[in-house]
Amino acid sequence: MTVSMVREDLKTRLAAVGPADILVGIPSYNNARTIGRVVQAVGAGLAKYFPEAKAVLVNSDGGSSDGTPETVDRSTVDLQSILVAHRVNALHKIVTPYHGIPGKGSAFRLIFEIAEALKVKACAVVDADLRSINPDWMELLLRPVFREGFDYVAPYYQRHKYDGTITNSIVYPLTRALYGPRIRQPIGGEFGFSGDLAGYFLTQDVWDTDVARYGIDIWMTTTAIARGCKICQAYLGAKIHDPKDPAADLSAMLTQVVGSTFALMEKYAEQWKTVGRSESVPIFGFEYEVGLEPVPVNVDRLIKAFELGRTELTAVWTEILAPETLAGLVAVRLDGSEPGFSDALWTRIVYEFALAFHRRVMAHEHLLKSFTPLYLGRVASFILDTQSMSPPEAESRIERLCQSFEREKSYVMDQWDKPPIQGGGS
Amino acid sequence: MKEVWQTGFIEPMKAFINQTGAFLPHLVAMIVVLALGVLIAWVVKNAVFRVLVTAKFDQYSGRIGLSLALSKGGIRESPAHWVGRIAYWVIVLIFLMLGLEVLDLKPVDQFVSEVFSYLPHMLIAVVILVVGFLLANFFARATLIAAVNAQIVEARFLARAVRIAILLLALAMAFDQLGIAKNVIVAAFSITLGGVVLAFAIAFGLGARDAAKQFIERRLKREQEQKEEDFSHL
Repeated sequence: MTVSMVREDLKTRLAAVGPADILVGIPSYNNARTIGRVVQAVGAGLAKYFPEAKAVLVNSDGGSSDGTPETVDRSTVDLQSILVAHRVNALHKIVTPYHGIPGKGSAFRLIFEIAEALKVKACAVVDADLRSINPDWMELLLRPVFREGFDYVAPYYQRHKYDGTITNSIVYPLTRALYGPRIRQPIGGEFGFSGDLAGYFLTQDVWDTDVARYGIDIWMTTTAIARGCKICQAYLGAKIHDPKDPAADLSAMLTQVVGSTFALMEKYAEQWKTVGRSESVPIFGFEYEVGLEPVPVNVDRLIKAFELGRTELTAVWTEILAPETLAGLVAVRLDGSEPGFSDALWTRIVYEFALAFHRRVMAHEHLLKSFTPLYLGRVASFILDTQSMSPPEAESRIERLCQSFEREKSYVMDQWDKPPIQGGGS
Repeated sequence: MKEVWQTGFIEPMKAFINQTGAFLPHLVAMIVVLALGVLIAWVVKNAVFRVLVTAKFDQYSGRIGLSLALSKGGIRESPAHWVGRIAYWVIVLIFLMLGLEVLDLKPVDQFVSEVFSYLPHMLIAVVILVVGFLLANFFARATLIAAVNAQIVEARFLARAVRIAILLLALAMAFDQLGIAKNVIVAAFSITLGGVVLAFAIAFGLGARDAAKQFIERRLKREQEQKEEDFSHL
């Protein structure tokens, strides 16, 4: 039994607020630059679309030192500027630090606990570093749950073709092939969900794992699918956020997301083995075109990282990959000439890493971290491949990769319960 | 003449026969204990082998690099076989000591008790070496992967350095446990470690000043390149 994150002083504040209809959570860590606008957009959206509902905004902060909580406290909504003249319920703001493992998942856990304590009907979570959020996002994320009977709302954005590369090259194709629903942004960061589902999330014993960190998004989405929740997507337009923290360790982030995805594969193995093909998921919201900011990428750096990995880590990969996959990897050329990282090769690599994770061929930490150079190589290959393509053309390449994952699913199903071949990887 | 015969031959002969008569049961008992020990050792060897095979110990040894290390050391048998053989000889040795004790000879008794008091140290030394080997492999691989991900081109060198350092530490601890040249081992280890650190300091400070400069410049350039990138992986 895990200990509650809601401390006595917070319990008193929650008791004073009383039961509510809607909760919007904003996890944060040093986001003073952007969180004020996010709070204003949330407040305006709730006033505009849910004026009759009792709503609570929760800022679950990871110990910011740049005045993020103070910015949330100060931020107010000018209702006249959004042409709201009707009577509006006051927005209750709860700004509180979370305790425990530092990470987005721990911040979410506190939000879930508050949602359960306040017995809310619908919840939404939004990132604190968003620059493109507007009040309409509240309607799009909350309405399907609050009024239409959906349990879980995943975001659907237009993003630059080089943005969200873990999503595009691993998480989306894998989730879709395994579980069926075509949720385009399974780790998007913005979600809507019912109060009941928040309560269910809390009953799961995962809060000491990578789910407490960056693994939270894929865990929420997969749990919702596996539980048979009614799921839809909300078109939110463009996703533009503050430049990422350059100190953020990609390898750690990738390890947490991919490790959580593979762990979920083990947990729901009997479920995904029965899924035959993928299916579309309804999208709410008008799909308008948006202009996307250019994304600078240093392909040479990615290629160098891959080449260094190929030189030094082949001995490690030998224990993970099948001999023919390893041979394909050795043949990869990232100088623009064929063969690059083909979809078939990349699919095999991801599946064989998942199999090696399942069979525990080495410490999970080593296995997942040795995946980083391969991922960077695939990203470089995708960028080289799509540099002259329009966004829809690049999207069609991602669709082609998804189909490759679906075709090769029989391989992972066939191999899942077999023992590893000694010294021969998967 | 008769007296000389009596004291010179008959008495010693009687004493010899008496002593032999008293010793023979001990000898028989020792042989029985030894035979029993060999039998038990054989049973245990086979049991250990079967349990390890069932537990897929050979596959695990392959993964942690133990099989490779054994084959490099000229041992062609599987690790499960090898562990079974160690169990066999440990049990035979224990029963040999018990058998010698049964002989009830003072010098042998003393030797046996010394061996028995030394045995735990030997076992601990073996455990230290095995754990040291496993840790050396684990941390060497962790270092290699972390260094590659940090794009340090000297990744393999760093991994080897970590492996050697941990193996040396384990070896020094094992010798210390065995009581072999205690002071020499501690002094040698300290001198080696200090020497390595000093060598690095001198190399970076004098001989390899340019290399150190290039290394730091490469890192700063890479960090700058990362800052200039603006794409999100998630």
